[in-house]
Amino acid sequence: MIFKVIDREELGRLFALLAPLGRVIGPVEIARDRRGEHRHGFAEVADFEALCLDYGTTALPAKAYVLPYRERLAAFRLGGQDWEKVPGPDQERPLIFFGLHACDINAFNKLDKVLLGGAYPVPGYAARRREMFVVGSDCQPRPACFCRSMGADTARHGFDLFLTDLGGSYFVEILSSAAFNLVRKIAARDPEEDDHRRYRRRVAEKNTRFTTQVDTTDLTKILDLEFQSEVWQQWGARCLSCGTCANVCPTCYCYTVSEQAGLDLQSARKIKTLYSCNLVDFAAVAGGHNFRPTSHARLKYRYYHKHRGFVEAYEEPLCVGCGRCGESCLAGITVPEVIASVRGGES
Amino acid sequence: MPDSSSTPKNYLGVPVKRPKVAFFELSSCEGCQLQMLNNESSLLAFLDLVEIVRFREAMSGGGDDYEIALVEGSVTRSDEVERLKIIRAQARLLVALGSCACFGGVNQLKNRFPLDWVKREVYGEHPIDTAPARPLSDFVAVDLKIYGCPVKKEEVERIVTDLVIGKDIAYPDYPVCMECKANGNLCLFELGEPCLGPVTRAGCDAWCPNSRAGCWGCRGPATDANLAQMLAIMDERGFSRETVIDRLECFGGFASQVAALRAAGGHR
Amino acid sequence: MEGRLVLSPSEAGGHRRRTDLAAFEHTCQAEITSIHRLTEQENLYRLQVVDPGERERFTFEPGQFLMLELPGIGEAPFSISSSPSRKGDVELCIRRAGSLTNFLSKVRRGLHVGLRGPFGTSFPMASMAGQNLLLIAGGLGLAPLRSVITYVQENRSHFEEVDILYGAKDPSQLLFTYQYEMWQADDIRLHLTVDSAAGDPSWDGRVGLVTGILAELFAARRGGDFASRTHAVVCGPPVMFKSVCALLTQEEVPMQKMFVSLERRMHCGMGKCCRCNVGSTYTCLSGPVFDYWTVMNLKEAI
Repeated sequence: MIFKVIDREELGRLFALLAPLGRVIGPVEIARDRRGEHRHGFAEVADFEALCLDYGTTALPAKAYVLPYRERLAAFRLGGQDWEKVPGPDQERPLIFFGLHACDINAFNKLDKVLLGGAYPVPGYAARRREMFVVGSDCQPRPACFCRSMGADTARHGFDLFLTDLGGSYFVEILSSAAFNLVRKIAARDPEEDDHRRYRRRVAEKNTRFTTQVDTTDLTKILDLEFQSEVWQQWGARCLSCGTCANVCPTCYCYTVSEQAGLDLQSARKIKTLYSCNLVDFAAVAGGHNFRPTSHARLKYRYYHKHRGFVEAYEEPLCVGCGRCGESCLAGITVPEVIASVRGGES
Repeated sequence: MPDSSSTPKNYLGVPVKRPKVAFFELSSCEGCQLQMLNNESSLLAFLDLVEIVRFREAMSGGGDDYEIALVEGSVTRSDEVERLKIIRAQARLLVALGSCACFGGVNQLKNRFPLDWVKREVYGEHPIDTAPARPLSDFVAVDLKIYGCPVKKEEVERIVTDLVIGKDIAYPDYPVCMECKANGNLCLFELGEPCLGPVTRAGCDAWCPNSRAGCWGCRGPATDANLAQMLAIMDERGFSRETVIDRLECFGGFASQVAALRAAGGHR
Repeated sequence: MEGRLVLSPSEAGGHRRRTDLAAFEHTCQAEITSIHRLTEQENLYRLQVVDPGERERFTFEPGQFLMLELPGIGEAPFSISSSPSRKGDVELCIRRAGSLTNFLSKVRRGLHVGLRGPFGTSFPMASMAGQNLLLIAGGLGLAPLRSVITYVQENRSHFEEVDILYGAKDPSQLLFTYQYEMWQADDIRLHLTVDSAAGDPSWDGRVGLVTGILAELFAARRGGDFASRTHAVVCGPPVMFKSVCALLTQEEVPMQKMFVSLERRMHCGMGKCCRCNVGSTYTCLSGPVFDYWTVMNLKEAI
């Protein structure tokens, strides 16, 4: 890894160098909520001044840019009993993420394992990922954050460069040659011993601020053991089966495929829509049988997939601890509380 | 590829008949029918798909030879009951179009008050014959419901297309939240607004929440909607039970749930 | 790590998303060459891959499934019901049970359908060689099992005793009745049973559960090494294979020698959509064919 230090003013120049190369997506303020707090979201940013790099976790993750909620997989031209299939729209401009937190960078890294791995990499995702440029930025933990428990509080890869705010200047980690070439075009200097110290102090200070922890010790086994636990029913009774947790999750990728005939009866479309395992018909099969007819069975499945099955397959959970699902859940179902309740009487 | 203008029509080789369609309106604002005239780009294709024999919002007169009847509005007068029965007898397929036809719609709000008072309040010195507002299914068999106040044009077009080609009609089972989040909206509860999105059937593409207006449940309950939790959420956020009941009651889709609430909670 | 951003499009050879998607979304077109009505609810569709080159490459193993697509109508998984020795030529036994299959019941032969696959695991026929086979099906479970049966017919000398145990709701629901004589002619014993024959006075066969036949079969062969030299293939609803496998376990057929096929509603077939997950195992990748030991260890499979 190559480290540099840049002055705060240089960031705007970096932005200006990147902007012509693709769609710049970054954190912007979207609203003041009922408590008067500033809320942020990712948006396409044309003006560096619109960026809010000092942001809390966004309400919605960055995944929609790479894994759209709705996507046309194919179009058809029909003629009698014959037809022709045309795979869905071509690639758009490269994506440039400016100011992704470690949790969201790690979320893409986890998605890569499924969507780029195995025998069938997902082309739309792969193309966007391949042509993506990521400027990471450090953050301050919020009460809902438990990324540290999920091992996702630091990004080790999946970015081109990563900024840590040292107050007046940024400590820059450079991971790609593309980033190296960019940084060469702005005023950057090699870090000195004092910069190292300030960087270490900043990171150490951040690590003291995590207030929420999840005990993942032996969690795969405990989930297996507690499959019949009554706590699932209690959480299930609260669950709205609304799919919000999946939609705000940066690592959820489940989907549904539907087809629609065109009004002209000469065309048709095949549409992929991100889905949620909490939705009523997620595990329904033809003929009406539903393998998970109850909200608690579905909610339990969600935890089994994220904190057991994925761990068994990839040695890490399908969760970065960003806390979005818990914050967005109107019923107040949060990962730390659910897991603590499943662990229940152990201590 | 064979010529696209070839007739007679088929879909994947299965013969397709261009059905005769009639629009009817009972007590309603005819807003659902107006929706169908929005966005002219798909209107021509729609008119090619079906033969419209009656559509007051777009044409005068009208025939009585139709196979599919799209009926908007609730039933509030005895002559409407008679008209509906005649439509039912003629139509191969009777479709309730919009919240009024499906649930009684906004009209059924008057059912909360004594009928005499309603007549006096609305018509003053010139009272007319009016009965409690009821959905079509209280009087005739309804083959298909198209939800919404108003209906979503894209959904009507999809459903009619599926009807024409003989495909099963499907609705989303899930609530509005799913579409709301997909559209990138910040939850209205975060903005301090009440919203019935978590219990209301989707399909509207979160029409109201997209404009930062909370959902009023015009499409009725989602499959297995968790109303108890919805109430708990409203309580927790300081919205009174009466506020919530007003909202649930607005379009009539939650009538049975509201009745249970009133019975349990002693609300009016 | 190399720079991932393509600063000059020529470096990357342009964007290849559409060609990649074409591979991912590739459906080979197959023509419905015949439609054979089996019962009130089920049709047998014979499909032939249209492109000669693709036809040659389209091979599968018994137990595998494919995704069948009708443009604008839908796409769904179906087990293949026919002989694996016929390349690019498959038969699907399809029950009217949803949007796609309802539409399929109306189409005419000559229609082109889209096929993706074949996907998933198969019954390990080669490793069952030299052993007895118990082929047990309930209801529509005979659809995937029929592929196994055709394999056995074509390779009859590879197996010792072969028994088919098949149960249906009532006599009118029995599938592939026209083939029973052929199976028996190939020295495959066929045991039929129905849940109820109340509507069919002419039924002189057995009424009751498949497990009843199975228990008698073991009782008759007790004492030798029948159980330890037997493989079982069980296809049917969860409640059925659960009780069958319990009985087989009790008779000391090793769990690793019992194979079941799980039914789930895949949307991709490629381990992405999660719709077929059992616990967190992808039925489309690790299944649909599992040995019973694996199924026992899958939460919520049965």
